[in-house]
Amino acid sequence: MKNISAKLISGLLVLGLSVGLISCAKKGGENVDPSLYGGDAVVGITQEPSVFDPHTVVAAGDKEILFNVFEGLYKFDSEGKLNPCLATDVEISDDASVYTFTIREGVKFHNGNDMTIDDVIYSLNRAKELVPDLAGISEVKALDDGRVEVTLSSPNSELLSYFTVAIIPDEVEDINATPIGTGPFKFESYDIGQSVVLTKNEDYWQEDLPYLDSVTFKICADMDAGFIELQSGSIDIFPYLTMDKANELDTNEFTIQSKGSNMVQIFALNNAVAPFDDIRVREAINYAINRDDIITLTMDGAGLPLTTAMSPVMGDAYDTSLDGTFDQDIETAKNLLAEAGYPDGFDMTITVPSNYIIHVNTAIALADQLSQVGINATIEQVDWATWLDDTYTNTNYESTVIALTSNYAPYDVIARYQTGADGNFINYSNPEFDEIIAQIPLTTDEGEKMELYHDLLAILTEDAASCYLQDPYSTVAVSNRLEGYELYPMYVQDMSTVHLAQQ
Amino acid sequence: MRTSLQKKTRIYMAVGFSLLAVILVAFVISLTHLYVYDPNSTNAAAKLLPPSSDHLFGTDNLGRDVFARCMEASKYTLLVSFCGVFIAFVLGTLLGMPAGYFGGITDKFIMLISNSVMCFPGILLALVAVAVFGPSLFNVVWALGLVFAPTFARVYRTGVIGLSSKEYILHAKVLKVNPMRIMLLHIFPNLVPQLLPAVVIGLANMTLFESGMSYLGLGVQPPHASYGKMLADAQSYMTMAPWLIVFPALLLVIYVLGLYFLSEAARLSFGGERR
Amino acid sequence: MEQAKYIGKRLVELFLTLLVVSFLTFAAFSIIPGDTASVMLGPNATAEQLSALRSQLGLDLPMSVRYLEWLKGAFTGDLGNSYAYSQPVISLITDRLPVTIGMSILSLLMVLLISYPMAILSGRRPGSLSDNTLSVFGHVLFALPPFVLSMLIITLASAAFGIYSVGRYVKPSSDFFGYLGCLLLPSFCIALPKIAMTFKFLRASIIEEKASDYVRTSKSHGLSDVSIMFRHILPNSTVSTITVISLVLSDILGGSLIVEQVFNLPGLGRLLLAAISRRDFPLLSGMVFYLALITVLLYFAADIVSALIDPRMRNNREGTL
Repeated sequence: MKNISAKLISGLLVLGLSVGLISCAKKGGENVDPSLYGGDAVVGITQEPSVFDPHTVVAAGDKEILFNVFEGLYKFDSEGKLNPCLATDVEISDDASVYTFTIREGVKFHNGNDMTIDDVIYSLNRAKELVPDLAGISEVKALDDGRVEVTLSSPNSELLSYFTVAIIPDEVEDINATPIGTGPFKFESYDIGQSVVLTKNEDYWQEDLPYLDSVTFKICADMDAGFIELQSGSIDIFPYLTMDKANELDTNEFTIQSKGSNMVQIFALNNAVAPFDDIRVREAINYAINRDDIITLTMDGAGLPLTTAMSPVMGDAYDTSLDGTFDQDIETAKNLLAEAGYPDGFDMTITVPSNYIIHVNTAIALADQLSQVGINATIEQVDWATWLDDTYTNTNYESTVIALTSNYAPYDVIARYQTGADGNFINYSNPEFDEIIAQIPLTTDEGEKMELYHDLLAILTEDAASCYLQDPYSTVAVSNRLEGYELYPMYVQDMSTVHLAQQ
Repeated sequence: MRTSLQKKTRIYMAVGFSLLAVILVAFVISLTHLYVYDPNSTNAAAKLLPPSSDHLFGTDNLGRDVFARCMEASKYTLLVSFCGVFIAFVLGTLLGMPAGYFGGITDKFIMLISNSVMCFPGILLALVAVAVFGPSLFNVVWALGLVFAPTFARVYRTGVIGLSSKEYILHAKVLKVNPMRIMLLHIFPNLVPQLLPAVVIGLANMTLFESGMSYLGLGVQPPHASYGKMLADAQSYMTMAPWLIVFPALLLVIYVLGLYFLSEAARLSFGGERR
Repeated sequence: MEQAKYIGKRLVELFLTLLVVSFLTFAAFSIIPGDTASVMLGPNATAEQLSALRSQLGLDLPMSVRYLEWLKGAFTGDLGNSYAYSQPVISLITDRLPVTIGMSILSLLMVLLISYPMAILSGRRPGSLSDNTLSVFGHVLFALPPFVLSMLIITLASAAFGIYSVGRYVKPSSDFFGYLGCLLLPSFCIALPKIAMTFKFLRASIIEEKASDYVRTSKSHGLSDVSIMFRHILPNSTVSTITVISLVLSDILGGSLIVEQVFNLPGLGRLLLAAISRRDFPLLSGMVFYLALITVLLYFAADIVSALIDPRMRNNREGTL
């Protein structure tokens, strides 16, 4: 019953969202309503910001704030589409080795200076050193007055989404201390343990945006604390709610939005460690677990079950034929375990970062489900720093539960499974996979490329590389005091379109 | 006057034991697996059910039976508090007895160390120890044992100093009886009246500390149940599922209350109204 | 003269205790597993970067040198920068102090304002109905962990009536009364069990004093019960309760660490947990040391005060700090 109501709500939301978009598009035109402007909004966040340098930032919680301060040559919209931003156009050479951007004119930085070609070149050169994904850039140079040519050391047709990297002024020495960008909001202040305050960029290049005078990202100890603040009115927008919490809210006061977040929650099995080096054991585990139950238990039904390394929200690159591959089948699981030489199961450890309740709860549910096939799983909670260090980086673990986030680009989602790749923390290795993925950057035909993605996903599923569990919906509650909030299928908060509701 | 005192002791004792009985029964059931539900078994079809004849205390957000989890929690509570008090008791004996018996520089040194340890707010010390060495049942137990050891050392020291001036102890000292022998055979039995209330209060305090640490996620680790962790998890469902808070909170309070009553009874029966 | 000698002796003890406390703090954070430098630099650090950072942080120096450096820093208020926040440890701590200290003071006031009337009422006629009721009540309070109490109160207040919003915090500099208002409920949750504790000691002490000779003498001289209570019994009982109150204060400090978390207040408790999860050892050791320092000074003050009021106390408490 709860499931159905959750689905209904998200269905309604999609409708509401598209209506919102249409009205937004209309607003962008000639008749701008002055009564929409002004006001403030408070967004609740649950992690302490740490880095404001857009080129070294890694934490998703920092990125979602900086999305409002910095912009790149291209920018994602709430549909996951890439749109020109600080560039007006791009030309990609036929062999995908040269990208030529036309730079937008009349863009001002928050310090009042004009954005010039020099700033763009400076930023891309800096990003090339600091952002691993852009390391393939070999040369950045100015062509004529308004164009920048980026040459790659090897062809890559999948790089455009990385040109969302921030353009920053070349004269600023310490961008982390003085975060100056071109975005709709200016960085005003950061009060440790309290809040990050952004104020309106009056000179924003999209003249009718933003609406609000200021946005405060308020730091809450945890989701519960934030939720209570939301109810009491001291927070207007609260992302990353659970569905059961959201259902508790008064619909007269709040609007709930929910959709797939392009996250992949994975029950990662370390392929380099026995017994998970045996494909039969990995398959058995995949058959032993019940994804729908896990989604019901951990997300109150608000998640998309996954059998492969990509979320369906990625569109064409996702292969729907893989749906349902690992429906729960205890008998098959037991047989596979017996074949692998573990008729009575075995002991294993699930390492989880203690700060993520959803992963801890998932681990609890997994341990319970695995006990049905005789596998005795112990849960070990570690703090986030230890998890990053021991589990993720040094892959010193048996199994773990985590959600993988990536850019809204299929290549970024699965690149980590190449042998020896950065972020291949499950130690997966398959020469066939490596061979196919190497072709993708060289392929310029879209249809052909999608075929290759489908092949890659099929290989990951066949190899049961790990247990892919779900794409947890991202659910956000917005006070009805505000309108125009758009939920992205990625970890950002776009405050530029938000405005006060009209009475 | 004398009879009314005894009556009061009896009342305290009766109340204390009957309160404790609730937890003890749960403990026994949890050991024998008599109850139908496994405390860790999740059930997607039974999320957040209110109390009913099926699930006496209702179910939690993962569909686990709260009654079964309370029983498991009482098991860990008893385990942690008894082991912790044992460690604190042994350490306290090793420190406090010689300090009181030998006096002088030994006393000064031991008391300096144990007073210094006492200067750290207890919960802080336990939290840091567990955070640093990793949250596990074992670490919780020794950290709590360490934190509480100086308390016992003090009880010993004061008691031993009081007894040392007693005639028979002085005699034994003059006759050069082995100090170990004096301490164990002559001093220790006479300290029981002071030690017993301290042990019972120690059990109660340790339970409170353990639940506080588990509340902060640094105590008993999931999926295992502990009162503190159950309450911390329940906080998200405060309005939706109040039974998740009410039952564990009630049991925790009943247990600690029972211990306080018992310690009061012990104090009254040995020492009377005076401190 | 004798008092000066006593205070001098206590000062030596204070100094020794501080030395041990500081050494324990430092040692605890030195034997911790895990390499600080690699935690700070993250996964992709090279060996050169690691050793450079280690020498920059002084991690390659011998332990005795590091201890002396640290000790010097602790007393001059310069404990270096926090790893996680890259801000001076001392300023991080002082930023959070208003919450923790404010809560502690409020709690202490509540403890005194509530436990005294209770104890007077109870100790006036031991064994009476009001005494028994209050005693039982005290036991129940004793058994209530502050965080359980906080949760119950938050549930009631904010969810049911919408009175109290968790996480609301106003800086004392901007609105002093608003600040007090934010701390009122959490302080009450911390205070309740301590009220029970203070009540218990004070009551016992009042009963003891009442049985003493001078009270009986005063009574035979025709002094009224009320004036005996307030002129003689209470002051004397207070002296013997001062030590308990200093213990209560250190418990209050510890309790506020947890209760802050339940109420989502930006105090030392939250900073402590953040420091723990980020393995921020300069910050952690600084907080542990300063909290212990406060406690040591409290105990010391309690001893000195009771010695000044009542010379008898001196001999009783020698060597127990």
